[in-house]
Amino acid sequence: MSLKSTLHNLKEKYKGTKMAPAFNALHTFLYLPNDTTHGGTHIKAADDLKRTMNTVIMALIPCLIFGMFNAGYQHYHALGTPVDFLSWDSFSIGLIKVLPLIIVSYGVGLGIEFLFAIIKGHEVEEGYLVTGMLVPLIVPIDLPLWMLAVAVAFGVVIGKEVFGGTGMNILNPALTIRAFLFFAYPTWMSGDKVWVHGAVERANEIASGANVDVISGETILGSLAQGNGAGYSVADMFYGFIPGSVGETSTFLILLGGLFLIFTKIGSWRIMLSSVLGALVMGLIFNSVVDAGWVTVSSKFYGLMSTEFWHHLLIGGFAFGTVFMATDPVTASQTNKGKWIYGFLVGFISILIRVFNPAYPEGVMLAILLMNVFAPTIDHYVVQGNVKKRMKRLKAKTA
Amino acid sequence: MLEHIELFFKSIFIDNMVFATFLGMCSYLAVSKKVSTAVGLGAAVIFVLAVTVPVNWLLDQYILQPGALKWLGAEYADYDLSFLSFIMFIATIATMVQLVEIVVEKFSPALYNSLGIFLPLIAVNCAILGGSLFMQSREIPSIGLAFNYGLSSGIGWFLAILAIAAIREKIRYSNVPAPLRGLGITFIITGLMAIGFMSFGGMLTGGDEGAKEEAETAQVETVKKDTENKLANNTKVNE
Repeated sequence: MSLKSTLHNLKEKYKGTKMAPAFNALHTFLYLPNDTTHGGTHIKAADDLKRTMNTVIMALIPCLIFGMFNAGYQHYHALGTPVDFLSWDSFSIGLIKVLPLIIVSYGVGLGIEFLFAIIKGHEVEEGYLVTGMLVPLIVPIDLPLWMLAVAVAFGVVIGKEVFGGTGMNILNPALTIRAFLFFAYPTWMSGDKVWVHGAVERANEIASGANVDVISGETILGSLAQGNGAGYSVADMFYGFIPGSVGETSTFLILLGGLFLIFTKIGSWRIMLSSVLGALVMGLIFNSVVDAGWVTVSSKFYGLMSTEFWHHLLIGGFAFGTVFMATDPVTASQTNKGKWIYGFLVGFISILIRVFNPAYPEGVMLAILLMNVFAPTIDHYVVQGNVKKRMKRLKAKTA
Repeated sequence: MLEHIELFFKSIFIDNMVFATFLGMCSYLAVSKKVSTAVGLGAAVIFVLAVTVPVNWLLDQYILQPGALKWLGAEYADYDLSFLSFIMFIATIATMVQLVEIVVEKFSPALYNSLGIFLPLIAVNCAILGGSLFMQSREIPSIGLAFNYGLSSGIGWFLAILAIAAIREKIRYSNVPAPLRGLGITFIITGLMAIGFMSFGGMLTGGDEGAKEEAETAQVETVKKDTENKLANNTKVNE
């Protein structure tokens, strides 16, 4: 008996019982339904929610694989025993560290989704598929798994299920999870040690008197903020051979993923473009402030303010946030004009927070969350503006 | 000039009345079902705050503070009337709210009706009194800054109620679990919005201090660990 018919039989067996949504979800995730609808007129479309989610995951896979290689590469690099980037040594470290994160993220998140579907008696919603993939890509690689589990539970229940599930939430669940981790366990989420595997452990060993070399896993943003310069070439930053969370380092692969999303019309090019514009404008403002001599080397903001404006696109999580999280169709603005405003402000505020808020070097997450809060307001006024315009036109016509 | 800009952004985003201090929640929760009424109430709050805070600043400077009555003559110099702060501030606020009510009733009866009881209740809105009391406790130095503080706190409150009203309009069709419908979900949304607003926390000021504290605790911890290790080694040797 094939897997498909087994699943189908299971589904039929539990039809009408409480467990039905769980088996239904398993079946339809892997296969098309066995039976077709009869009678009436039907529209056949391939892009249901599952395919949409799967497309985003496909766009994320290159970042994930690259991130696994990079995790090991950075680990050995920081140890002072560099290995080749494309080697089993670097990949295996990444695999061992990232795979548990993915499993915990999906296990806890989907578990809660299944539970809610069974209790509430509706079909399992697919919204978590992308969130579950995004989360391991944006957390530090050494994050304890129980913390991830707690955060995922919080994000899925408070961030999404209390609003009625997929498509109803107001904040991006992946970012809610990260923000929860960020504010609940700050020592694990920020600082110059967390982004490279082993750096925290090593620091603890040193603190307890072991005689080993220090690993520095400092990110570019951190070293720029202290005025030490980037320390990496532009090509390294672009292709992603830099420390950082798993998914965010390679601007090149994120760009490919973004183009793929735009080509399949799943991600909004308006948001991506306007957010890049916003970041560039803010970067230019900072650059010109520095050029005008208002900010001198002695200022604590000098390091980041004097960074060339387009470098901001390559470092930190900006590219990843813009392509995969700002474009979340549920929490972003829904209207076209609103998308321009929303995206622009995301980029603008990201760089603003990045430069001016020494406590939170990763401004992108918080900027997107903030704009998620204001997206409905933007939409409301865009729609009202449209209504007013049409009323005027109507008046002009009838008068 | 710089301090004006700093205070302005600080009171709108960092010390936001709703998301940082959770003041003015009653009308924030009750009148945020529709964007248009929320805008009306928000504008009224901006106006009342922008007027009452500077007026109360004058009261504070020339009547209430210890030694404020000096201008009446030397014999009044050691009077301290600050125990009258609450009643004086509330009196100013109630007067201003009456004024707003008369104006709104005259010029926008529709808004007057939709705001209902919450318009006169601005008088007891804790955000308004909170504005004046914060002004007093933070010792804002000039009337210009006091006006700035009132105005920008009002704008912060306005933004908060505007955003929640738009969100509540958006989630009107969401399938929120029955026990959470209404105020429950609104509280949860407010909490989530506060996470969004935390992005500004520590900007301009707090961040440095926080980092310093962290560094200090880290040092203390390492010292502790060192001593612990030494102790452990000693006991081993003894054994």
